[in-house]
Amino acid sequence: MAELSAPADRLTAERRDGSFLTASVLLGPATIVVVIGLLLPILILFRYSFNKFEPRLMMVEAMTAENYIKFFTDPFYTNIFWTTLRVALLCTLVCLILAFPLSYILARSNSRYKNVLVMLVVLPLFIGNAVRAAGWMTLFGSKGALNAGLLQLGVIDVPLQIMFTERAVIIGIIAVNLPYMVLTLQSVLEGVPRDVEEAAFSLGAGPWVMFRRVLWPLALPGIVAGAIFCFILAMNAYATPTLLGGPQFKMMGPLVFGQFRLNNWPFGAAIAFVLMTATLVLAALANVLIHRRRR
Amino acid sequence: MTNTARPSISRRHVVRGAAALTAVGLAGAPSGAAAQGKGKIVVGTWGGDYARLLNKNIEQPILIKSGWEVIQDQAGDPERRSKILAERRLPRGTTDVQGLSALNMFQMHDAGVIDAIDYAKLKNAAKLLASMKYSYGVGHIYSGKVGVYNPKLINPAPKSYKDIFDPKHANRLGIIDIQYQYTLVCAALAAGGKVDNLEPGKKLLLECKKAGARIYPTNEAFAQGLKTEEFGIGVMWKARVVQWQNAGISVEAIAPSEGALAYVSGFVIPKNAPNKDGSYAYLDAMLEKTAQEAFAIDMGYNPTVTNAAVAADLNKRIGFAPEEVKALVDLDYAYMTQNDVALKEWWDKELKG
Repeated sequence: MAELSAPADRLTAERRDGSFLTASVLLGPATIVVVIGLLLPILILFRYSFNKFEPRLMMVEAMTAENYIKFFTDPFYTNIFWTTLRVALLCTLVCLILAFPLSYILARSNSRYKNVLVMLVVLPLFIGNAVRAAGWMTLFGSKGALNAGLLQLGVIDVPLQIMFTERAVIIGIIAVNLPYMVLTLQSVLEGVPRDVEEAAFSLGAGPWVMFRRVLWPLALPGIVAGAIFCFILAMNAYATPTLLGGPQFKMMGPLVFGQFRLNNWPFGAAIAFVLMTATLVLAALANVLIHRRRR
Repeated sequence: MTNTARPSISRRHVVRGAAALTAVGLAGAPSGAAAQGKGKIVVGTWGGDYARLLNKNIEQPILIKSGWEVIQDQAGDPERRSKILAERRLPRGTTDVQGLSALNMFQMHDAGVIDAIDYAKLKNAAKLLASMKYSYGVGHIYSGKVGVYNPKLINPAPKSYKDIFDPKHANRLGIIDIQYQYTLVCAALAAGGKVDNLEPGKKLLLECKKAGARIYPTNEAFAQGLKTEEFGIGVMWKARVVQWQNAGISVEAIAPSEGALAYVSGFVIPKNAPNKDGSYAYLDAMLEKTAQEAFAIDMGYNPTVTNAAVAADLNKRIGFAPEEVKALVDLDYAYMTQNDVALKEWWDKELKG
């Protein structure tokens, strides 16, 4: 390396060192938290997933893929995986359909009550998932508010079986995820200028054509971000499937915890990794495909 | 206007402030130590009523009053067992005692993470029922898995597990998902099996399921189903039945002729408990006559010490007749530990699948 002799070069080097130091100080705490609180436990869990489970000894040090083989060769577990994927995709799609019009209205609103409307969207997030699911339980039960109302009105003769079904879980997850989707889409749609919509209309495009040719493509990166966010939350749902799905409906999140309940850490770790990998791969794939199409 | 009003912090101020704080801290230290008294006991326990009653009946009136500081580490038993296992390599763990079921106490003993109990250190050990003196843990309270039924829906009353796990009840039979171990053993006893041979029970449960038996996720959901009369018969801890009766649910309990399956809740000491004197103080306090009697009244579980006096009318509701106590059936802990994962897999795949 050439010796820095000129004062200007020395100044640049000092500034570079200063920027590096500032960047290190700013990034350091967050990096330490992520490494200690997230990456390290994930690495430990990954190692555990190759251990063996012996009922009397719990976890035994080993290097075997038997936990992964067990998961992928047993239809019971693969069915749970496909159920989780189906529920997550369906919830994401429904959230997108329900959230888009609402987000659009919020984004385009000039009302002085706009902040109140946004707060109303955010309000459910103030309540924990388990508490919300408990609320749904009182609504969906065979003698819950919904069935009692429908029976009273004479719409049905026998109570509808909503609790402990996949239907209940889907409704519950949509209710949990919808605000996230609305908020993500709203911020994206606010970034799409109203002018481009008006330009499309002035060139003869109808509302549907404007949506398809202008609004949707411009908002697509945000839509993808919102959808991925919603998908990840649905794939990893725990409280809602546990409380609303009942004992016979299984998703991956409760399955992972179930293995830890049994002290079967190696298999629980393997399932956790299958879930995490599938979620990340599918989310990344969606992102890549959408961006490639846009080019 | 001058600058004198503006607060300014100089190096000298900082040094003086730090010195003052240190002085206050040092001056306060003896009083702080005095407030700690005998030291700190960290108790691993389930949350909810049990934690509240531990505080009300053991910690406040006995331990805290005599100078101990008690901190509860509340979580479900799977999480706490995981914690004990995860901390096994640490020289100092984070809890001094852990509340677990008898089966879980055995599992932790089997995993080599809990201490053997030195009963010489417990002044109340002499009063402890022999069956509650585990070498690795101390029984705190016990109850039995009794038959429960709603007399409005089920007539005649069942007399045995066999009468309860009868496919003729169809969808009037309720089963609790989280109680899979005990339900399997009860069904095995009903079908002529034993605590170390649950195959007949599996067959019987499948028949009941095929006939329409309902599976409820939790004890609370089961209680709700009983209340709404979705079903009318099943098995549950006698102590819970008392709580449900108190809540106005139409439910009666019977001690099954095969012998009721016993449920024991106790405490163990992790090998790396930081304050073992505190651990033994807690175990001794929980065996105090007053604490045991209060638990019988508040929670409906039976005392594990011989000197606890339970009123006759309460004993009739929560207790067992001498011949019923004699007939109590215990789990085969080694068998259950060895087969727990396989049993749960069968339960999830075959029974619920």
